[in-house]
Parts: sequence; structure tokens; C-alpha cells
Amino acid sequence: MTKEAEYAIEVERLTKRYGALLAVNDISFTVRKGEVFAFLGANGAGKTTTVEIIETIRPPTSGKVSLLGMDVTKRKRDILPRIGVLPQGFSSFDRITVRETLQYYSRLFCCRNTDVDGLIELVKLKDKAQEPYKNLSGGLRQRLGIAIALVNDPEVVFLDEPTTGLDPRARREVWNVLLGLKNKGKTVFLTTHYMEEAELLADRVAIIAKGKIIAMDSPAALIEGNANYLVLTLQSGDEKVFEIVRKMRCEPAYDSHGNIKVRLENTDDVQKILNAVKEGGGSFLGLDVRKPNLEGVFLKLTGGTLREDPPGEKGAG
Amino acid sequence: MNLRVVGANLVVSIKSFYRDKTVVFFRIAFPVILILVFGTIFMERDNEIFDLDVQDLDQTKSSARIAEAIGVSGRFKITQVAPALNAAQYAKDNKRNLVLIIPKGAEESLGRRMGLDDPHASVTLMEIHDPSSFGVTTKMQVLNLVLAGINQEMSGKPPFLKSAETSILAKKYRFIEFFVPGIIAMAVMTASLLGAVNVNAELRQKGVLRKLSTTPITRTDWILANILYQFILAVLSTTVMLLVSYGVFHISLEINAWLPVFVALAVFAFVGLGMVLTRVAKEAESAAAAADALMFPMMFLSGTFFPVEMMPEFLQKFAKVLPLYYVNEGLRASMVSGDNMAALRYAAVIGIFAAAVFVLGILITTLGEEAT
Repeated sequence: MTKEAEYAIEVERLTKRYGALLAVNDISFTVRKGEVFAFLGANGAGKTTTVEIIETIRPPTSGKVSLLGMDVTKRKRDILPRIGVLPQGFSSFDRITVRETLQYYSRLFCCRNTDVDGLIELVKLKDKAQEPYKNLSGGLRQRLGIAIALVNDPEVVFLDEPTTGLDPRARREVWNVLLGLKNKGKTVFLTTHYMEEAELLADRVAIIAKGKIIAMDSPAALIEGNANYLVLTLQSGDEKVFEIVRKMRCEPAYDSHGNIKVRLENTDDVQKILNAVKEGGGSFLGLDVRKPNLEGVFLKLTGGTLREDPPGEKGAG
Repeated sequence: MNLRVVGANLVVSIKSFYRDKTVVFFRIAFPVILILVFGTIFMERDNEIFDLDVQDLDQTKSSARIAEAIGVSGRFKITQVAPALNAAQYAKDNKRNLVLIIPKGAEESLGRRMGLDDPHASVTLMEIHDPSSFGVTTKMQVLNLVLAGINQEMSGKPPFLKSAETSILAKKYRFIEFFVPGIIAMAVMTASLLGAVNVNAELRQKGVLRKLSTTPITRTDWILANILYQFILAVLSTTVMLLVSYGVFHISLEINAWLPVFVALAVFAFVGLGMVLTRVAKEAESAAAAADALMFPMMFLSGTFFPVEMMPEFLQKFAKVLPLYYVNEGLRASMVSGDNMAALRYAAVIGIFAAAVFVLGILITTLGEEAT
């Protein structure tokens, strides 16, 4: 198999500067065809800058970026018909209906056989097909944006923060649509700052912070490699329990709900703590044992948190 | 250039237009309202009959005949003011801008003049006027002309110096015929400039242009689609304006091939200018403010509402650097004077300007935030 056939995207030593600001700092990665690849990072980490360079919207300062085997700085005209893009903060023409919007974008790509009804069905907008864009809620607009990104049956789909600003229900509806894309075998490049989204959808995740990729692997491998411990949560405000665990040198801590959290190396330690609490006369209402998720990995690697933009602001990167 | 892409944009723009009733009103109805309002005002002025209040303090047959002679001229509708009233107070109280007073002793002076007792005897008619009132100067000039005519007639001799009018135009034109081409030019300018600025700045701010930058549409396709859309609306708006003007004011204008030529050149020029402003200003609000700053001087200094010749000399020179001046003059040369050579000269000037801003618009317009 040739390299071009194997990789949809190849990024080599990519750097982007805005004056003195180093937005993307010498990053390299590849995305295989048919893969869902997530770029995970906080606002301003360099996600959007990177994706816009790959989409041919922005020129890189240095480095090489190939999309479907073509240099993005030289073959924009050849690349654009073969990709679909949902840009960050997607918007469309206020008074044009869902169906008309899809027909419009289909004509821009000169597609004569776009299955507009199929796309409307795919993003579950059948009931809203005759609604103008301005009447759609945030979640419906994003779903329309995803449908637009698919009008030309692209080989690579870029989704830049597709669920930012949506309520949890709308977010889940968009995720269902994205899972449908994944099942169809599309190559998807996703940027997000939602751990759950990356964990649910992505085959591989790259964590980016301050313009640098600091980790890249499958969600499971990232968790396994960077957070191979367990977290025991005891639903108890009993100080006696806290004291018993502390004496076992397990470094307990109270969480925001007043529950006791203990980090453990293996499952045997769970049993030891439960026995010690029982023998010491402590009590608790319930317990929970979990492996840490991608958020734990992110926090460990970056020492920061992922937050949503305050209203009216957009991440710089 | 891809005609299918240009066509797709045209369809979206036209649908967006007719679904927004406010835009339809301002684009089509507003220029028509301007024509109706100004047309009515100035049609009245072409054959204006002024109101004139006359206070006859003499209360004699001769004084009554003076007032009657002024009325017979056909330029004044006379209202009598009671002799007991204070004329100035009457003018203030009744918001009259001119009261003519025939003084006591008018008949006696006339008798002495006619009887040759005193060939220098005269009557001074007092004109009480409000100088702050718009149009009072014209009214007084017309009154003095009427009085001069009465004096001439009373002398019993024909005037020595006479005048005869010959128009340089083939037909007799009224103010409305000069006004309509100006309004057409102004409507095309405002709609093209504001349309290009508002739509593009809004689409840029909302991120629609960024989305478009990820599709195969080119800058040339986008600008051409904008120009075609504005041209279609300009043709529609011009047609409605002309139909209303013909229907209501029975205007007599020459409609020839120059009309679509000037409308097309104006659309090219002002959409191109709008594209340049959108790129330079970036934010929707600042782009609209910049468009206003260009539009208002053009509206008032390019000869749309009143002839450029009425302005001070330095403003006349300034008017000649404004592109709307050439559209106004070109339309009048073709529709009123029927002067093809003059129309060609004006078309050449606006054509060069349109080509320059169109090319500049293509060069500096980017659909995304940053060109690759």
C-alpha cells in the first residue's frame, strides 16, 4: 500500500506564528484514511489554527502539510472539492431553508447527484427541511452544518468544535450523527475540548497544549499509559472513615460533594480499605470504583482544565 | 469563473431579498416615495400660485383695483386683511410670510399723477415679510415683477426692452424630468453600495464567508454574483420608478440604451466600492459607517437634488471627483438632452472608475480570514 493511499493527512513539523505569538509549535502527525482523529485541547491551544491550515484557509509559517497526498499550500483548488468542513461557529443564510441551503452548497461543489433528502435524513432534519436557518436552534444548526460538510461526499471531513455551546441533549444528538459518519467509514478530523466527545468518537486522540502535541494515541491507550490507577469514592461524611483510610497511607481527600476519594494502585487495595473501614466501625452509604477517564489523562499531562468559552468569546486556536 | 456557482449565489441572494420585507420596502418603495414627494413639491413650484395677504388702508376704488390687478396676474391668490389690524402682528399670529400694505392716500396720489398735477407722485406699497421663511424671497421677487408689469401698463407705453426664451432642448422640460434621472442614480448608488457593504460585512462577521472559503467558489464568482444581483434589483427598482413617474407626473424622458448602460456601470462601480470598504473596514458597523461617509456627500453634492451649478465653485470642483456626478450627468445627458456624445464622455469616466474598483475588489477580497 502506498503512503498516499494509507494517510489522508500528513503534517510534518508544522509551525504557525501570528507576530510574536507562536500558535502552533513544530507539530507532526498523520491521520489514516477511515480514521476518526480528535484534536483535544483547551481554548487557544492551537486546534483551530492547525485545522484551518490543513483545510487550506490559513498558510503555515513553516512545515509541510499534505491532504490526500497534495500540498495544502499549492493545490487548494484540487483539495477543496474532496473535503467537507464544519468551521467553528458555523453560520448560514438566515432566510434560506434547510433544503435550499443544502442545494446551494451542492451547486457550489457542482455536484449533480447530491442526495439532499438522504443528507436531511442522516442529520435528522426531515421535519425542519422547509424551515429557514434563522428559525433553527443551536443543535439543529450544527446538524445542518454537518450535512453541508457532506454535500460533496468528501473523502475527509473536518469538524471544528461541532458541539461547543450546545446543551447536553443537543450535544448528544450531534454525537449520534457523528457516530453515523464513523460507521460509514469517513475520515474525520475532529477538534474538541470535550473529553467525553473525543473518548466516544475518536479512534485516536492528540492532546495539544500551547501549540505542542503532548500525547497521541487511542483513548484507551492514553488512559492505560497515563492513568493506570483506580479512584475509590466512598459516599460518607464520617470522619472516622477518613481517619482509617489516612492511617493506611492512602492519602484520602474530600470531593466537592463531601465524599471521600482515594487513589489506589490496584483492586486488592479496594478490598483492604473496605475491610479496614468495617473493622474500625466506620460506615458509608455507597461506593464507586473507576478507572480515570481522558479528563484524568489531560489533567495529568497539562496540569490544566478544559473549559468552555464564556458567552461571546471564541478560542484563539 | 463558474456560471453555475454564480447562478447559485444569485438564487440565494434573490430569495433572501424577497423574504425580507424591510429590504424590499427600502429597495423598491423608498425611491418611489422620494419621487412622489419631491415630484409633487416641485411640480407645484413649476406653476406655483402664491398666497398674498393685502391690507388696504386706503379703502378706495383705486386701492381696490391695485389689489385686483395683482390678483389678475395669476401668480397670487389675494386674502384681504382688515385695516384695523396691526399687519406685523397679523403675519406673526397667522404664520404669514408676506403682507402687502396699500397705504392711506393711494387714490389721492394716483389722481395727482394721472391729472399731471404732480408727475412724480407715487405710492409706496409696504411689504411686511418674515425673512426666516423659506421661499419668501422668491415670492417677493415675483410680486415685484407683477408690480413692475402694472407700472408699465399704467404708463400707457409698450416696453422698450423685451425678452424671448429659446430652450437648448428639443422639448420643454419640467423640474421632475431633471429630478427623476438623479433619483435613479442615487437609488442605484445607495442600494449597490449599502447592499454590498451590509451583506458582505454581515456574512463575514457571522462566519458564512469563512465557510464559503472551504468550497470551490472563487472571489471573482462571489463579486460577480453580487454585481449581477444588484443589477437585477437596480433594473427592477428603476423600472418601478419610471412607471410611477410616467403614471403620476406624465414625465417625458428619452429611454434609450444609455439607461441600462449607466445603471450597469453604476452597479459595477458602487458594488466594487462596497467590496473594497468591506475588506478595509472588516467590522459590519465600521463598514456601514464608512459607506455612509461616502454616500452622503455624493447624494448632496453630485447634483441629485439640485444642480451642481448652484453650488460654490470649490464644491463644483469637488463634485467632479465624485463618481455619482458622472452617473447623474450621464443619465441626464441621455434621458433629458439626448446628447449622445456627452453621455459617452460620462460613461467613459464612470466605466474607468468601475473597472478600477472592480479589479481592486477582486484583488483584496478574501472569503476566509486570511488568504493562502
